[in-house]
Amino acid sequence: MSEQVLQEKFQGFPAGIREKIDNAVTDAKIALKVRLAEMLVDKREMALHAVTTAGRIGAKSGEVSELTAILPLKQNGAVRLRKFFKLVGGNLAGAGQVGTLHNMRFVFLDNDTKLLFATAYDGDWDHYIDDFATKIPEMMDYLFSNVEGWPGIAAPGVKDFITQYQLPAEAWFVSHPTMTVTEANRLQRQDAAVQRFLTDLN
Amino acid sequence: MDLFRRLRRPPTLDLDDIQAAVLRARPEPYFGTHALLEITDQDAGRELLHRLASRVSSAAHWDEPRPSWLALAISYQGLVALGVPEASLTSFAANFRAGMAGRADRLRDTGVNAPDKWEQPFGSKRVHVAVSVYADNERDWRAEMAGYEQQLHGLPAVRLLSHQDFGATGWNVFGYRDGFSQPVVEGSGAEPLPGDGRPIKAGEFVLGYPSETGHPLPMPAPDDLGRNGTYVVFRKYHSHVAAFNRYLHDNGRTEDERELLAAKLVGRWRSGAPLALAPERDDPKLGEDPDRINDFGYADDPRGLKTPLGSHIRRMNPRDTKLEVLTDVNIRRIVRRSTSYGDALPTSVLKDDGRPRGLDFIALGARAIDNVEFLQSEWVNSGNFVGLGKEKDPMISLQDSSAYFTVPGTPPRRVHGIQSFNTLLGGEYFFMPSLTAITWLADPGGRHP
Repeated sequence: MSEQVLQEKFQGFPAGIREKIDNAVTDAKIALKVRLAEMLVDKREMALHAVTTAGRIGAKSGEVSELTAILPLKQNGAVRLRKFFKLVGGNLAGAGQVGTLHNMRFVFLDNDTKLLFATAYDGDWDHYIDDFATKIPEMMDYLFSNVEGWPGIAAPGVKDFITQYQLPAEAWFVSHPTMTVTEANRLQRQDAAVQRFLTDLN
Repeated sequence: MDLFRRLRRPPTLDLDDIQAAVLRARPEPYFGTHALLEITDQDAGRELLHRLASRVSSAAHWDEPRPSWLALAISYQGLVALGVPEASLTSFAANFRAGMAGRADRLRDTGVNAPDKWEQPFGSKRVHVAVSVYADNERDWRAEMAGYEQQLHGLPAVRLLSHQDFGATGWNVFGYRDGFSQPVVEGSGAEPLPGDGRPIKAGEFVLGYPSETGHPLPMPAPDDLGRNGTYVVFRKYHSHVAAFNRYLHDNGRTEDERELLAAKLVGRWRSGAPLALAPERDDPKLGEDPDRINDFGYADDPRGLKTPLGSHIRRMNPRDTKLEVLTDVNIRRIVRRSTSYGDALPTSVLKDDGRPRGLDFIALGARAIDNVEFLQSEWVNSGNFVGLGKEKDPMISLQDSSAYFTVPGTPPRRVHGIQSFNTLLGGEYFFMPSLTAITWLADPGGRHP
């Protein structure tokens, strides 16, 4: 599309939206401005992906929240963790039992002095930390005792400890914001039943 | 029904120092009052506590009937009004300090349940002290109230904000027996009744004792203030009984059909008999029997064919239900001391008479605030934890206009048109101090700077 056409197209959007875009991304090319305007004008799509808060800290889209933390490692912390991750081949399959974890990753930073922990999970920040403390304390403590100052998953200050290293995301997108892990499990079971039914039918 | 449990072994908790309300069961029938007070002057507030200290009942001999008892709890604003030192104020849990209105988003208290819709004085920051009197007869209720009210004389700087009488036979305004399922507190000496499950660590309900984690939960400082205390969540609900009756009439042609649907919503029949033990029809004898009324689990009913996964009692206490999310149900228990107010409305009444009736939901526990916030967002206003998506608790959630309830079966029955049968009129977070702590809070000279 020519510059002229794009300019005309952009002028077609409500003045309020144009003004906001012009102020925020003054130097953007007109093609980007048009794309932004198309996005901002679609109220339904914007509402579906609205970014709210996960409670204490972090962003949430629909039911899905994000957590990113960069934690200082103890001397040999990375070595111990690497042994653990190597033992399981980097496969954390057992985490499926938590039922709220979409994904998580462990990345070593700065010459193994820091650990990046990032996850997408369902619900509010606070809710299930207490359950980890009584249901899977050994796993939590084994992984995180490699972090400098880790107070223990059952310690009164553990939530504050994690929070101080968490870096809340400034932007957060989830393609299916209402699709919790539980919902995905349910839909998979349902689909298996439908497929079985179709197979039997023929 | 005899709700008093027997002692099985000697108690190991400091019963003389713990308030009676923590362990003492609500009698049947019961009478009482919830009063809310504002402290407009620090010295008057301390004098109030000094005077009431000897009237607050302890949990000693909690297993024996007692004609009346008095409970006292203080909000965060109340602690501020009493001039509690900053170091102690900041040692309280953050959600307690924020207050219930300040936590509305976490509690999912929006729309008609939002704090700006609450009745006075809830959410105003003027609610400082809550005094509750429970009694098993009218005469002793009046006497206990008179004794307490006498202590307010000559203290004009302590203002009575609200006075709400309650009382019922043990059936709530919907016509359901209630209040008989409680966790067994380890160290209380209580004999577990069949179906109660194992005793839960005392630290889940009283501060200063080991909790289910093996360690005590965070406690306000100093020890004299925190130890043997607990947190209280108070939520006053208006019950829309006529709307509930209409929902049953809209979806059931006969009395039997309506009562079965009602039982599916609650998980129990009106007598208290659980669907798990009486899946077809009510069994009032079972509802009368404290040895049988809770003697069930859900392991044999994973699909909820008897007791729907989304029914009220299965949500509030999933027992051995296999949940979709890793959860420790033993840390989500609360001591419930809820009371009903107003008259019940017969099932035939389909038009609201506009009169006040409902439930004061009262939860006690070291995690009571955390747990009610958890329950409200995870178990009441969501169905995710049992794979029910957006379906909500049929009795106490805030329902959307397109809400429905699913009765499992072959095929399942989806019952549309469900409404919010209980809406919130207000509430507060309180701290229920030990008897030692009441004296500590009343002592302006001694340990206070």
